[in-house]
Amino acid sequence: MSSPTLPPPRAPVSSQDATLVARGVKRSFPMGERRLDILHGIDLELRRGELVALVGASGAGKSTLLHILGLLDRPSEGSMEIDGRDPWQMTVSKRALLRNKEIGFVFQFYHLLPELTALENALLPGMISDSPLAYRRNKSRYLERTRAMLARFGMSERLEHKPPQLSGGERQRVAMARALFHDPEILLADEPTGNLDRATGEKVLELLFEEQKRRNLSMILVTHDERIAQRCQRIVTIEDGRVADSNG
Amino acid sequence: MYRYFLSWRYFLARRTNLIGMVGIFVAVAALILILSIMTGFLEESRKTVRGSLSDILIEPVFRHELTQEELPPDPFDLLAAVRAQPGVVGAAAELQWGGIITQSGKNQEQYERILSSSTHKELLAVQLVGVDVRGFERLTQPLLRTALLPWGPLLPPSEIQDEFSSTDFLAALTRSAPEDEDAFFSSSAPVKIPLLPFLPPADYEPLGRPKAGAIIGQQLFRNLGLRRGDVIQIATAVPDPDNGEWKVNNRKFVVAGTSRSGENETDLSRIYLERTELIDFLRDTRRFTQVLVRVEDFKRDGNRIRDELRESLAAAGVIQGGPYARQEVRTWEEFRGNLLGAIENERVLMAIMLSLVLVVAGFTIFAILSMMVTEKRRDIGILCALGGTPKGILDVFLMIALWDALIGGFFGAVLGTWGAIRIDSIERWLSKTFGVQIFNRDVYLFDHIPSIVQPMAVGVIVFGAFVCALLFAAIPAWRAARLDPLEALRYE
Ligand SMILES: Nc1ncnc2c1ncn2[C@@H]1O[C@H](COP(=O)(O)OP(=O)(O)O)[C@@H](O)[C@H]1O
Ligand SMILES: [Mg+2]
Repeated sequence: MSSPTLPPPRAPVSSQDATLVARGVKRSFPMGERRLDILHGIDLELRRGELVALVGASGAGKSTLLHILGLLDRPSEGSMEIDGRDPWQMTVSKRALLRNKEIGFVFQFYHLLPELTALENALLPGMISDSPLAYRRNKSRYLERTRAMLARFGMSERLEHKPPQLSGGERQRVAMARALFHDPEILLADEPTGNLDRATGEKVLELLFEEQKRRNLSMILVTHDERIAQRCQRIVTIEDGRVADSNG
Repeated sequence: MYRYFLSWRYFLARRTNLIGMVGIFVAVAALILILSIMTGFLEESRKTVRGSLSDILIEPVFRHELTQEELPPDPFDLLAAVRAQPGVVGAAAELQWGGIITQSGKNQEQYERILSSSTHKELLAVQLVGVDVRGFERLTQPLLRTALLPWGPLLPPSEIQDEFSSTDFLAALTRSAPEDEDAFFSSSAPVKIPLLPFLPPADYEPLGRPKAGAIIGQQLFRNLGLRRGDVIQIATAVPDPDNGEWKVNNRKFVVAGTSRSGENETDLSRIYLERTELIDFLRDTRRFTQVLVRVEDFKRDGNRIRDELRESLAAAGVIQGGPYARQEVRTWEEFRGNLLGAIENERVLMAIMLSLVLVVAGFTIFAILSMMVTEKRRDIGILCALGGTPKGILDVFLMIALWDALIGGFFGAVLGTWGAIRIDSIERWLSKTFGVQIFNRDVYLFDHIPSIVQPMAVGVIVFGAFVCALLFAAIPAWRAARLDPLEALRYE
């Protein structure tokens, strides 16, 4: 009698150096009786250290896709892989850990906690990942690292300010420090300069590009700005919930 | 770690949380205070009631309603039978009868003024208590025994049993009341020789035949403005042995001293006389009405001795027994069962009603947290995006309630306990400051506000506060955990 054999390991769907893969991702929202289809099957691969611009008209589904890629939303159909693993097969806490450690988010509206200072906001991912004891042990290291990062963003004088006392550009810098806290592999930025004036936006973007290069981040940047998109290695255009064009 | 950090931040950032905390604080403090006072009332009642009632009370039914069988009028057989019961350390007979004071100490005019005053109407009726006091023997027998030392072993063992051996009468005789400085008369006059309480005072100069001494309840004494050596006249009614018609009897007594049990009801109405004197006053209508029994350890075997007495006394023919046994032999707890039961009932009712305060506090926490969850939708979404789990978010909001309960409960317990311990002086201070009497000491059985803080009860109340806070917080916290993070994140 032969011993039961395990099924052979599934061949990776993606090329070896892809860190984030989406295959046939669909997303629809129930609208009363009917369903509103937003994404009609998206195929996307993000390679390690790649900087991708995601462009498309307003309402095309860019944010929806980015939320799915960032594990905040579940695709109605299709599959996903992060580092070769399907995140939706994981437990809730494993998936949360993945979001905490491997994925950084930068939003258009910063999304800082108004009760916390700039420094505390940037430290939040550490507070979330650590138990009280571990946090106490790591605190000095965390503080040093976060202060250094905020200093690099020119925020040394603003550490104890709360978000309402900060300008838009400053808030976005804090949000970036927060997204980079655990030195994630993937950074997803949804129109990070959409709410900033041109000059400020450019400064923030420079910092972001600099960090991407320095850390070799795999990054998707949603933008309206053609000039910004041109600076990325590849441009993916979304039109009516489909990838209309992907060139590098 | 963010659970502690954020919940504490939110707790501090939103002033409305104070309402929930104060709610818990007030509820815990009030519960502890009221429960302690009720427990105090219960315990104090037991103590004072026990003091004047002794452990077991035997009230024979002298004439059986059906068989018309009569019990012996004298208590000697009954006393002997009771004393033979193991575990009994003392038994004494008492004769109780109702009476009216018709004339007191000073001039009659003043007494009439007191009687007609509505505030003193309770002074009219008094309870005459005839007791056996073998003080003379108590004083002389030790001397006699020393003198007869050579024949000592031949003498029967000293067994003087009287009122002193079965009740707290001796303590009541020597206890004096606190004096109010502005009172014209002294409020009590403890007797000089407690073992010979009915001895008239040394300076008593009788007009005519010397009167027998009476011990007046201390409150009655104070309210009538009596002094030691004053003469009072008491009226009572007894049936005529020939035709059964009720006749009024009058007799004068000299005030020999006061007794103070600490129990208002007793101290307002009792007048102690020698039993032989009262038998004479009642024209031998009755020689005793009850026998008071003290047992060695009431807590341990009070009920057992009561049951055994019911049987043995009925067998000896000194009580009717049978269907009467239950009312003839009772422990003091049964005698005052209604009162103790009522207080216990009130205590439970009060606790239930006050628990509603806790529920109200819980509702405020519920309302505040519900508001907060709505207000913090965006924060919840952000936390999710940063790797927070639904459980973590649930915990953040639960812990806000936990802070409410922790801080409110702690300070509530401290204030409640402190208040319960100091309640009497607090009440005095409040009464003095605002000029309103909050606790009318004449109405209750005690002259102070009793209160007993039970650590167990404090623990249960604080625990209850935690359960209540967490239970009410669970609903909004659960709602927060189930919130779709995207709903919160999509728009500014
Ligand atoms: N929860 C939802 N329910 C219904 N419609 C939604 C929901 N989320 C997004 N949409 C719709 O999906 C479309 C794409 O939205 P979005 O991804 O934000 O576009 P973009 O970011 O490209 O501007 C929009 O028309 C939006 O109204
Ligand atoms: Mg968008």
